[in-house]
Order: sequence, then C-alpha cells, then structure tokens
Amino acid sequence: MDRRSLLTRVFQPHPNSPGAAKFTNAVLRTHDNKEVRFYDDLIKGKQAVINMMYAECHGACPLVTTVMKRMYRDLKDRMGKDLFFYSISVKPQDDTPAALKHYAQTRNADLPGWYFLTGDPYDIETIRFRLFSMNHPGIDLDFAMHSGTFRIINDATNYWGHAGAFASQRNIMDRISWADPFKTHAEWAVYSRNRQILINQDIKKYGYRRDV
Amino acid sequence: MPKKKGRNRQGVGKETKGTISRRSVLKIGAAAGAATVLAPNMLKSGKVFAAFDPVAPPLAQCVSTAASPPHTPFVDDFDAPPMAVDHPLSPMPTETANTGANEWNRAPHQRWAQFAPAIVTTEMEARPGLHQFHSDYGPSYVWGFNGIYPGPTVLNRYGQSCIVRFRNSLPPSGDNTFGHPEITIHLHNGHHGSESDGFAGDFFPSGFWKDNLYPNVYAGIDAFGGSPGGDGVGDRREKMGSFWYHDHRAEKTLNNNVMGLNGMFLVYDSSDPGHEHPSAGSLMLPGYYGVTDFPMILTQKRFCALDAQGRNEMVNAAGGDKFIINGKIQPKMTVRRRKYRFRILSTGPTTAQWDLTLIGPTGAVETITLIATDANFLEHPLKIDAGANAGNTNSIVGTTVQVPGALRVNVAERYDIIIDFAQYAAGTKLYLKENASQSVNPGNVNPPGLPPGLNIGNVVMRFDVVEREAWFPKDTPAIPETLCEYPPICEPDTTFTWNFNRDPAGTVPRLFKINQRVFDANVPQHCIIKGTCEEWFINNNADVGTNWAHPVHIHFEEFRILKRFALIGGVFQEVPVPPPYQGRKDVTKVEPGEAALIRMQFRDYVGRYLIHCHNMGHEDAFMMVAWHIVPDAAAKAACDALIVQSRKEFEAKLRNEEVS
Repeated sequence: MDRRSLLTRVFQPHPNSPGAAKFTNAVLRTHDNKEVRFYDDLIKGKQAVINMMYAECHGACPLVTTVMKRMYRDLKDRMGKDLFFYSISVKPQDDTPAALKHYAQTRNADLPGWYFLTGDPYDIETIRFRLFSMNHPGIDLDFAMHSGTFRIINDATNYWGHAGAFASQRNIMDRISWADPFKTHAEWAVYSRNRQILINQDIKKYGYRRDV
Repeated sequence: MPKKKGRNRQGVGKETKGTISRRSVLKIGAAAGAATVLAPNMLKSGKVFAAFDPVAPPLAQCVSTAASPPHTPFVDDFDAPPMAVDHPLSPMPTETANTGANEWNRAPHQRWAQFAPAIVTTEMEARPGLHQFHSDYGPSYVWGFNGIYPGPTVLNRYGQSCIVRFRNSLPPSGDNTFGHPEITIHLHNGHHGSESDGFAGDFFPSGFWKDNLYPNVYAGIDAFGGSPGGDGVGDRREKMGSFWYHDHRAEKTLNNNVMGLNGMFLVYDSSDPGHEHPSAGSLMLPGYYGVTDFPMILTQKRFCALDAQGRNEMVNAAGGDKFIINGKIQPKMTVRRRKYRFRILSTGPTTAQWDLTLIGPTGAVETITLIATDANFLEHPLKIDAGANAGNTNSIVGTTVQVPGALRVNVAERYDIIIDFAQYAAGTKLYLKENASQSVNPGNVNPPGLPPGLNIGNVVMRFDVVEREAWFPKDTPAIPETLCEYPPICEPDTTFTWNFNRDPAGTVPRLFKINQRVFDANVPQHCIIKGTCEEWFINNNADVGTNWAHPVHIHFEEFRILKRFALIGGVFQEVPVPPPYQGRKDVTKVEPGEAALIRMQFRDYVGRYLIHCHNMGHEDAFMMVAWHIVPDAAAKAACDALIVQSRKEFEAKLRNEEVS
C-alpha cells in the first residue's frame, strides 16, 4: 500500500471541516517509509480511527493493537477504502519507520488501510494535542493518557467521536458507526425497519428491550 | 425597543410586558397548524422544510475565544418562552412504532392500554431557526424545537397523558455549526417507559420522528392505582412540576444543547394548578404561566462579530462570556408589587454552577423563598439570604460556604423560587446577581444607578418594580407553611455503589468513567427488578487524585439524599446535607472527594435508563452508564449474565487475548 492508493478515490471533506488548520498538514512517515501529509493524505474526507502508541511500549499499546486487529476483522470490507486506522507514535525519536514496520509485522498488523506513523516530535505533539486534548493540563501533558482511547474522525461529515479501547467490541463498533457517512433517507428507513425486527425479537426473548 | 433587522420571524419574545402575547401565541399556532396540514405531503415528498422558510446556515463556523461584541444592559424584555400548542397528530400515534410512516424504531409504548389515547398531543420539530439574543445583535442561527430557542414550554397536567411527537428536520448533512443532526429527546426527569426516555443510544436522523408517551402520572402506579382523570394515578406525594426536555444524543449532547435543543415542560395538578383561582387543594402559589410564573433558563454563550449576513452567530463551544436567561442577554423585567414564581434551570452545558443572589437597591442580598428543588416541592418553604437565613444556602463545598446567601444552581438542576415584590416600593430596581462575571462592555463600566458594590458584569437581569395595575392578577396569599408531604423514604432491597472517576493516575487509559466503564448502549452495569428500592452510594472519592466535580443525574424517579460525605483535610467524613438538598432530587453534584448516599425506587416500568454526569462534556466523553429495570428474577439473571459477559470481555482485553 503506498501513498498513491490513498489518493485513488476522491474524498470530499465536509464544508465545515476545520481542515489542515486544525489537523495540521505535518509530513509524517508511514511504516512503509512513505511520506504523507497528515490532513491532505490521511484525514481529508475520510473516516479514521486514531490512537497513540509506541513500539517499545509494554503497557497498553500491544493490548490496544490486539483490539484494533479485532476491529479490523469486523471492518475489513471498508478498510483502506473509506475507513482507515492510524497508530501514531508518541516516541517518534525512537520509532523509525523500520521500527514501526517491525512492530506491525510481528503483531500481524501490517494490513491495508492501517498505518503506523512517525514524524517530527514537535509535529506529533501538536497532532496529539489537537486530537486528544481534554483542555486539562493534568491529562494533556501526560502522553500515556491517550493510548487507551480511540479518536474517531469522519472528515466527510465533520464528526468527532471517540471510543475506549477496552470497551466491548460491540460498543467500539457502535461508536465507529456513529461517525459513519450520512445515509440517505431510504437507507435510514431500511436500517430502522431492520432494527425494529431485532428489537421485537429482543423483547420476545427478555420481556423488555434489552440490548438492541 | 428599536426595530432591528432579522428579528425572530415568529415575533417571539419581543412584545410582552410580563404577559403572554396573544399575538405570539396565535402566530405560533398558525405555524404549527400549517405543519399539521402539510404533514402528509411532507411525508410523501420527504421534504421536511416544506412548511417553513428555509433558514440560511451560518456563512462559516463561528469559532472564537475573543470577547463577544459589547451590549447595552437592560434593553430587552425578559419573557417566558411561548407555550407549546396542542394539536392533533397525523398519522395517529400507535402503540408500536409506525416505521412505515417514518417513525423511528422503538419498543412498543408500555401501559398503552392504560394511557392511550393520549389526552394531549403536540409536535416538536427540531429545525434551524433564527434567534436574537440582544437588540444590539443581529440574529443568531440556532437549532430549536419548532425553530425557536428556548423551545416552547409544554404545559401538562397530571392525569392527562401526553404524546409529544419529536420530529427531526435538522439539516440532514449538518451545516456550518458543531451540532450533529441526530437527536433523542429526554424529558428530565419523567416517570415513563424507557422507549419514551430519550435513551442516549436511541437517536434518530433527520427525516424521521418519534412519539414519546408521557403518562403524566405520579410514580407508584402499580402500588397506588387510581384512574386517569382528576390528578391521575400513582402516589400523589410523588408530584413533580418543573421538568425540562433536551437532546441526549450520545457523544453530541453538549453540541446539540448549545445549538439550542432544549426547553421546559411543566406539569400541574390540583395543588399546583397553573392558575390563581381558589380551587380545591390549591396551594395558591403564583401560577399564571408567563404572567406570574416564569421559567428562568440559564446558560452562557459567546458570539462572533456581526457578519456579512447581518448575524452574530453563536460560538460553537461550551460556555461563553454572556449570561443568557430565557434566550436574552441581561434583560429587564417589569414586575408588579406582588409575588412571582420563577423556575430556575441551568442548561449548563458544563459543570460551572450559578451562585445566584437577589441584590436590592442598597446592595444588600435580598430574601428569596425556595419552594421546589428539581421539580419537587420542599415540605416547607426555605428562605435564603445572607443574613438570618444564611444557613439555608446550598452554595457549599464540604462544609465551606462558597457564596454567602446564594442559591447554587448546578447544570440540569431546577429550583423554583418565589420573590415577593410587594415589599418593595414602586420604582425599586432589583438585580439577579451571579457570582462570576460576564463581559458587558470593555472594562465592564457600570451604567448609572447600579446599587453600591454591584458590578454590571455580575448582573444576570434586572427587575423593575411597578404598582399592580387593576387588570393584573392580584397578589396570591402568603406562601403556605407546608407545601407537600414527602413520600416515605423506601427501605432498600439492595445497595450499590457508583464510582465517578477517571482511572487512577499512572495507569491507562484514564477516561471519564463510572465504575470503570464507558458508555455502552448495549450493556447495563446494574440490573434492578421492577418495584424495588435501592440505596446507592454516589462516590466521587474513589480516586483521590481526581479533581473534577460531577453533577450526577439519575433518570426515571426522584431520590432522597440520606447523607453527604466530603474529603476535608484528607479525612473522608460525613457532612451535613444543606437544607435545599434535603427534599426530593434528581441531580446531585459531587465535588472532588465528595459522595452522597441516596435512596430511590424503580416502579411501574421496565427498560433501559441512565445514570450520568450531567456536565455534558463529561457525559459525551463516556461518563454515563445504563442500568436496566427488568420485569422479573429470570430477566435479572439474564441481565446480570450480560454484565458478566462484558466484564469477561474487558478482562480478556487486559490479558491481551483475542476475544471473538
């Protein structure tokens, strides 16, 4: 997967997208050592799940990578088309593209549509603040804070959401779907009717609407 | 008042002097009527804006941290939001979701046979509109119910069930704001089925609608019985009055509430009948909506400079540097020398509280009388001021008074107060003061005539006392010594602890959580058999490293606070419950290191309900969990199994196992 394949589709950003001014257009490197611009190539008009990690992390990072592999399985049909995973190194000074490639390969996570990213430490710190800032120094200055959180962005709908990495798989999938592109009225109607069938089954089974 | 361009085209909030304008009511009625007539065509064509002039969205998203444009104090009139107008619904409401006619999926209405057909029906269409927050400003683009901010006030009565059809006609792909066009409407804090509760995961998109059935019954239907009509069914001691409705869309509650998707919902009964005629059981409180009884909906906003469209758009962010009260910046209100009731509500959106005092002409704190907390009458009215009644303040953290004599209003709390203007001479001016400051003009230069010691930045609004005209309703009698009888505090079947915290320092991921869980629409964290009582420990001391306050809200029934605790000098200890918190409540704020012990019942309905921090930023950032009321022991076992299963998945993730 190279940078060209990211550009084969026309991705239309939401007119209200904060664009490069917020996301930055910092030049990052993928684990395949390709240069990418953060907003123009990775975010613009796309839906993305973003986490912070580093290769030598032995705490949450490998756990989160495992979680993302499971998410990837369930989202395989969309991965690399309109949905992308970005795992951004918070220790870019240590994580060369080669180190990230090694990390991805050893964890069977070197998959289309999933990019491990490194770059200038200042740029990455800026991106981390822009994406994960809670406007609170106690949180924001602690880079470990965000490794268990996914930032879910859909630049085509200007949606900013998030998910906890250790929440249930279904919850994470829900939250990604909450950021999905807007459906047409007809698509929503089908969705709603199908959901109604599930609700009815759920009520029949448990005596109340439980988990649909 | 000078004529200004772009005034709200429904004429709301411009012409009254303390009375509901017949003209504005008629105009809204006409608009709503047009919607009814056009509804079938709208459904066919899918064109939900057909009945209304389209409102152009902002030219660009308004993002700013600069001071809002200055304003002139006391220009606009304080007024009540318009009343919602009853009208028939087409198509007719149904027990099961009418998905064929674009009703969103939902569980069937519970107790449909008992409470349908609804006696009252109305429709609330969430759609863009223009609202002028101040005469010095151009209009601002809002998302409002029926296009207005604050939304229309729904006036209901116990014993008369109501269906509100919430229709989503927001721009289907969003617009130049940070609102998200999917909604789910919660009536805070109604006692009704979860299908009508605005569960945070049940949001629906533009082009669809959903009927919420509000039975307007007292909790305790099963135990107390009764029949609809009169005051209705249930335990009459469970009476509530000042509800509010607002969007509860998971992750976007803050955005959509800042956009304007909220309003008030008042329910009357014979003790509180919504008028001042002597009638059986009436407490004879000030009771004419918009005449002597007013919502007071508080929030803060920031505004961008006048743009090329002639608008001052709202900044797309929480908070701001202008106090907004019923949609106006620093308004004035002409009050007659008699008693008035104000139903204060803070719509937040964040934890920032209001510490309100009434300031008289000498600059001293005047007495207000608190009669209800979170929609529930106090047993005895409570006078609050900085003198003899200073002990009645709830502006307290731990045991330390924050603002002497203040009424503290946290986000989502409602406080009904009575101010007796009869004690002031005509011509007197009184000021509602907030302890924090807003920006009025550069340097906050006082206009002439403010009482000594009062800065204009702290003034929320002004009351101008005049003699009562002959046509204006006479004063009501003295406030009764006893307003209600509390229902007995229930004996708990079980106890449960809710820890509001982030993960401990030094661990990851340190999210806002309740009992270590983030909001999951499909998994409850607690299962309760219908008809039981529980004692809950609302704990913000689970991680002493935390430094966040959490105004905790529990859906479905009101609770009583038995005890409060605080961390004082490193020692976690019981502290007195301030008098305003001794009645029935549905929000309790726990400051860092604080906790509350409450009791609550779970009667009459089953389904999915929520406990969450009502700082809308926190609830959007995970601090919300579902609990279920289940019909029987078998369902509870299945519900508990769901929790166990989700914990197993959580633990497997921590062990780095690939769960499938």
